[in-house]
Amino acid sequence: MINEKIKNIIIESRDIAAEKKLQASFLLHYENSHLMRIGNNSVSLSTSEELFRLDIVVTIGSKQGSHTQLGDISSIDQILRSLEIAEEKAKVANDKDYTPIEDIVDEEVKEESQYDSDFEKLSPSFKAQAYAEIFNQVGDKYNYSGSWSSGYTEQFIATTNNRNTAYHKGTDQLFSIVLKHPEKHWEITSSQTGWRKDDFSVESVIKQLKEYVEYYENLQPVKIEPNKYTVVLGPQAIAEVIEMAIYTGFWGRIYEEKQGWTSNNKFGDKILGENISICDDPANDNTFKFKFDLSGQSRIKRMLVENGIFKGLMYDPSTAAKFNKQKTGHNIRSSSISVKCGDGEECPLEAVKSLGDVLYIPALHYINLPNISKGIFTGSSRFNALYVKDGKVVGPIYSSRITDTFQNVFGDVAKISKADISVNLSNTYGRRAPVASSVPKYMVCRGVKITDSADSF
Amino acid sequence: MNVDTALKNSIKKNINDLMDSSADYVDVRYLLNDDSESIMLYNGNLESNDTTFESGLGVRVLYKGTWGFAATSNLNSIENCFQQAFHNAKTAASLVKVPLSMGKKEPHISNFKSPVKIDPFTVPLSEKLAFLNKIDEQLKEEWILQRIVRADFQKKISLFLNSEGTEVERELYNVFASINIMALDNEGQMQNRTHDLFTTGNGTRGWEMLIDPDLFSGNIERIKSELKELTKADSLEYGKRTVILLPTQAWLQVHETIGHPLELDRILGYELSYAGGSFVDLDSFGKLQYGSKKLNVSAYGSIENSPGSFGYDDEGSPERDYMLIKDGILVNALTSRAMINEANQKAGKQIFKESGGAARATAFYRAPIDRMTNVNILPGSDGTLEDIIAGTEDGIIVDYPNSWSIGSNREHFHFGCEIAWEVKKGKITRVLKNPTYQGHTIEFYNSLSAVGDRSTWQVGQVDNCGKGEPNQVMQLGHGVPVVKFDNVITGERK
Ligand SMILES: [Zn+2]
Repeated sequence: MINEKIKNIIIESRDIAAEKKLQASFLLHYENSHLMRIGNNSVSLSTSEELFRLDIVVTIGSKQGSHTQLGDISSIDQILRSLEIAEEKAKVANDKDYTPIEDIVDEEVKEESQYDSDFEKLSPSFKAQAYAEIFNQVGDKYNYSGSWSSGYTEQFIATTNNRNTAYHKGTDQLFSIVLKHPEKHWEITSSQTGWRKDDFSVESVIKQLKEYVEYYENLQPVKIEPNKYTVVLGPQAIAEVIEMAIYTGFWGRIYEEKQGWTSNNKFGDKILGENISICDDPANDNTFKFKFDLSGQSRIKRMLVENGIFKGLMYDPSTAAKFNKQKTGHNIRSSSISVKCGDGEECPLEAVKSLGDVLYIPALHYINLPNISKGIFTGSSRFNALYVKDGKVVGPIYSSRITDTFQNVFGDVAKISKADISVNLSNTYGRRAPVASSVPKYMVCRGVKITDSADSF
Repeated sequence: MNVDTALKNSIKKNINDLMDSSADYVDVRYLLNDDSESIMLYNGNLESNDTTFESGLGVRVLYKGTWGFAATSNLNSIENCFQQAFHNAKTAASLVKVPLSMGKKEPHISNFKSPVKIDPFTVPLSEKLAFLNKIDEQLKEEWILQRIVRADFQKKISLFLNSEGTEVERELYNVFASINIMALDNEGQMQNRTHDLFTTGNGTRGWEMLIDPDLFSGNIERIKSELKELTKADSLEYGKRTVILLPTQAWLQVHETIGHPLELDRILGYELSYAGGSFVDLDSFGKLQYGSKKLNVSAYGSIENSPGSFGYDDEGSPERDYMLIKDGILVNALTSRAMINEANQKAGKQIFKESGGAARATAFYRAPIDRMTNVNILPGSDGTLEDIIAGTEDGIIVDYPNSWSIGSNREHFHFGCEIAWEVKKGKITRVLKNPTYQGHTIEFYNSLSAVGDRSTWQVGQVDNCGKGEPNQVMQLGHGVPVVKFDNVITGERK
């Protein structure tokens, strides 16, 4: 962990850099991660890591260089060596055609609001026992796989521009399980996320799997022909499609460079349906909250779309400097995207009782963007996808592809659930960086294009 | 390689101690250096000027049929790391229905070094920037709105040791680079053209590869003129037609719909909770008509110069050259030691004779999983690109992926590309923008109607294949020729 001794080593290094009149920022990242993988009803891997990564950025006028060192922080000499590498790179660098905005920690901050000291109890044996209980309760004639990632991260930032430091400590977990029928090959899934140990409940996993097993065991699969459908998107699908829409529509750089689907719009234009509001809200407890970004800037709530109207963009420091805008606290790995709820019933089946034939697609696999300018995305259904008629489940659907635009899918939303849910969007490439969005449990979208379907799940 | 003798002895002692404590098997990957450098010019601004240095040790312990893994960058207390890995395996062993087994292998002492003339980490940054700045200068035009020139260098020096007594020293080098330019078309949409550094399969893979104009900078004028044409082009209309994939598109098609579905851990269901499964099952080998008779696919392919050529995998097995698909029939998979044992046991017969040498780990803090090495379509007998165009009645040639979305069992796919050329009655008639095509894997490969000769074949370098939990990014290669498929759905329905 990042103890006082390590913090002091960083602060001392910063002071040495400041004395040398260097402009430097130090970001120390610590993780203590555990991941258990399940394959073929067994634990296939139980892995743990404890790693420190120190990023140093040196700015000389409009030149910059950076260096990352992975390794323990035990002496100041190691850090000064990394500083030297970054400095050498900055000296040789090209001049930029803009002046970079200097990193500065806005205020002294210590953030520990999403840290659970009970988290250590989420041990490998606790995880193995929970999986065993699920296999027993739901039935071990099925094939199970899954993963359960949990971890503890700390970040510590200091820059030569003032004496403030910013510190963040948090815990996070993501549980998932996939149940597959060994002969019929259908798959259902359940996942849970949160920062508390008690955010995981084995009972609710078992309940959800059993509910879907009922549908898949007893109802005939349905192949969907390409056409326009009313589609009920579930939380994972909403979170991932919105994440893509934000990346390509609300990042300052993409917008300024006219690459995105909002690039021909200006603030005040209606770009989505009037019941759609999206913001980045670092105070939303459904997300992993960060009060400051990696440049040290304090983060505050920022509206992106309000009642369908284009309201705001997100600028990282280099884009802000290049295009002469204010930076907005978006030099980040973890945003807090929050989508506003509506007044729809608790249960999505209840919500579509009067809507005739609808497809319930809770998650989309492998979403990508064939045309960013037009806002086109594509992805296919996988787990837990159902064909529903007048609020009754007709059967599970075979893998079906949606290829449509953000503007169309979120342009005519008939109903939005009143309840929200946290969807974990973290990956574990590189360093641990928990990300979650807060989204409605469902959205009923009219006229969504299904463009292909398979004859299998 | 300069491995501290005391450290090496300490690693061996810890391996022996765990074996004495009744571990089934232990292996260790010690990365002395895992260095990477990333340089990116974005409209001439040096937006990435970064190095990352990593070093440490990862321990994997098999105990009662399950893996425990732990890693540390603190080489003063490696014993804790061994104990942590063992502890992880022991707690995991409480839930084992299908025990994993590594089988037995004779020990060997081996080494491998990527063929390199100039270690890119010895080239001064100023020289690297001068080279990339010159390329950026050549890209500048009023109508080109974005210019992105990047180069990434990697060097990994590693020692592998296992409880069977095998020792492998490796020194791997990679150079990846790309040029990407963008311009607005006549409808206000951003169009892209990209060129990636590729290899011919031969030669060396150091700094010298990047400065070879045939492989990299010599493509600047071509992509500029193609981008210019895209800004005036019509969009591809929806319809069924022949599709000719250039190698710089074909490699991703192969990657997503042959490579990934043939990873044996994926076939056995170990990737379901993240990457997905495979439509291939153990009954498919020796039987499944994966594609037409023209489809011949190899693993590794004895390619001298590729990110997927690494000598020995992260279990110490030699990388092997073998066929995955022969005359259209599926015959083998991408395999590692434990996975072939499990598959053979499950199938009740020996489908897989030995490990394909495809167990790979991206860093010292990740455990190896089944990965692609080089997955290659062998050159065919249908001549040059010009010959293939001449034999096409109504189709498009497509190049360079800008979008790829694949079904969870790799049974269907949708690709978007940067550019298409319309082909009518054996001739290229015009450029078309926003091309997409989609299909179902088996039907698609069975419509393979022409495979280009050696003149059309090149190796695509992949630096960002993602898989596994915890996630791992891997580098690999695809040697592919020009390939032609009939009756493919192209464009989007209105
Ligand atoms: Zn891949």
